[in-house]
Amino acid sequence: MIEVKGVTKKFGRKQVLKGISFTAEKGEITCLIGINGVGKTTIMNAIMALTPINNGQILINGEEIHKGSYEKITFIPDAITMLPQMKISDAMQFMDDFYDCWNQKRADEMLGFFKLDKNERISSLSKGNTAKVNLLLGLAMDVDYVLMDEPFSGIDIFSREQIAEVFTSHLIEDRGVIITTHEINDIEHLIDKAILLNEGVVLKEFNTEEIRENEGKSVIDVMREVYQS
Amino acid sequence: MSRYLKLVDFEIKRFLKIYLVLVGVTIVSQLLGVIFTSKNYLNLANEMMYKEMLSKETFLQQYGSFSFLQVTQTTWFVGPIALCIVTLLIYVFFIWYRDWFGKNTFIYRLLMLPTARLNVYLAKATTIFLFVLGLVSIQLILLPIENNILQLIIPTDLRTDLATAEIINSFYYLAILFPYSFTEFLIYYGLGFMAVFVVFTSILFERSFRLKGVVLGVLYGGFSLLILFSPVLIDGLILVNFFYPLEIFLLSCLMAVIVTAMSIWLSNYLLKNKIRV
Amino acid sequence: MNVNFNNRDPVYIQVIRHFKEQIATGSLEPGEEISSRRELANKLKINPNTAQRAYKEMEEQRLIYTERNLPSRITKDEQVLKAVREELILQAVDSFITSVRSINVPLEEVLDLVKENYEKHCDE
Repeated sequence: MIEVKGVTKKFGRKQVLKGISFTAEKGEITCLIGINGVGKTTIMNAIMALTPINNGQILINGEEIHKGSYEKITFIPDAITMLPQMKISDAMQFMDDFYDCWNQKRADEMLGFFKLDKNERISSLSKGNTAKVNLLLGLAMDVDYVLMDEPFSGIDIFSREQIAEVFTSHLIEDRGVIITTHEINDIEHLIDKAILLNEGVVLKEFNTEEIRENEGKSVIDVMREVYQS
Repeated sequence: MSRYLKLVDFEIKRFLKIYLVLVGVTIVSQLLGVIFTSKNYLNLANEMMYKEMLSKETFLQQYGSFSFLQVTQTTWFVGPIALCIVTLLIYVFFIWYRDWFGKNTFIYRLLMLPTARLNVYLAKATTIFLFVLGLVSIQLILLPIENNILQLIIPTDLRTDLATAEIINSFYYLAILFPYSFTEFLIYYGLGFMAVFVVFTSILFERSFRLKGVVLGVLYGGFSLLILFSPVLIDGLILVNFFYPLEIFLLSCLMAVIVTAMSIWLSNYLLKNKIRV
Repeated sequence: MNVNFNNRDPVYIQVIRHFKEQIATGSLEPGEEISSRRELANKLKINPNTAQRAYKEMEEQRLIYTERNLPSRITKDEQVLKAVREELILQAVDSFITSVRSINVPLEEVLDLVKENYEKHCDE
């Protein structure tokens, strides 16, 4: 379980996170939803210790993040983190060199699924393919948790469909996933839990199937209620 | 292979192309320099002796004999050394900033490696050291070769032969690059590497606190200098002439070690707790 | 297999309904092996946990059964199969009644129209 407890964060004078708390379970897809600029990426960075927080605590399986944690949890930012001059195969080699949890078999499988040529340079990839390589590099790691920042933004519809397909496949199975989005349409049926954020606070945290079952509302219905009230 | 060594390997490969260009430019420029300078001198000698009918003795009296020192004073020779030094000085900064401001923000990857983040810092420092030492050794190999080329071009009676050690000692900048004794080597390069650590730490201050960090970084640099020179300052201002020169020297060495250790410790703290992508 | 899910009903219930329809129409036969929860999730593009939930629910309703570690199969229980058919018919009739009621049409008139149009549809 990933526990985010009362996290606050200031950038200069701007309070970006004002006491955020939520949990994300292993085996579930948790979705952080918010109109742009509500601190979704900051939360992701904070979980990965890529930005310091002012207050609060973040626990991964009950412990604070440390170097060994990066074999258990990975983060796929909204832009690829490999050098542009690298070939896809170089990037995979880099991962293999540094991570014990790198699973080459799975990486090859995803290469095939996404129809990527591993001799292509990262700088020459299309936007959609860059997003796929980015996803591949994260998902080919045998980790418990995967964080993804806006995996669907700014790419073409077919790439989006392919990426959505990944979510329902064995590539995700039994892992805990946290994804951020400002566009829920594509993934409404894929997520277990929705967390609605606004201006640095959690407005509502709910299980999507439960809200459909108990209140007969879609995620968008709830968003409308919460954001427009 | 430990992740630290893999990181060193990786960092070296990232800069290798530019580095090899630097090496190439140095070799070509210095070799051409030797040839051109020698030929020019020889042409001059020929002109003077055959056209102006100067005797060899008069020529040598008027123009002096040719030695390697004339080569070392040309841009052919000094230029590439300066170029290498400037490039590496810039790279001390660039080696960090490229991870944040490159086309793809590689710093995400580096900070998410399952290894102590200090290893990233140490690997970058090691890379700079290896590059510096590499260039220095190449220069050291080049000198005798260039000396031989000179001797092939200029006839014995027109030149003054210098040994490599003499070349180095007769030229101030080379004398710093190639210290005469091992102790001097340790001092010069120790100070250089200490400076790299201090600059790295200042960069990390800036990367952690951005604008505020610039101030902190500069203050840290100043503070380091203050510590380094504290024995000299104390001896000069407070306890005037209290220490023997050797004592001041040893205390300064100690201070340099302290500054280096402090830089590494602080960097470790910043990387662990304060750094931002 | 392409199912259009609506956003307001629980997905697992929509999955069960989808299965019931297939059973009633015979595209899934009694005793037929069905895909694993993973395959189902992938085919329907839904969350694997939802697929799991749907299977669990269907198992409780005895629509499917699982022997040891073998893949699940559609029930052979005649009573259950009959009940599924009846349930679907009733549901269809219910929704028909609701929409007809809302436009205030007398039953006789509707029934005649239904007969007429139903046969027409079948001819096509």
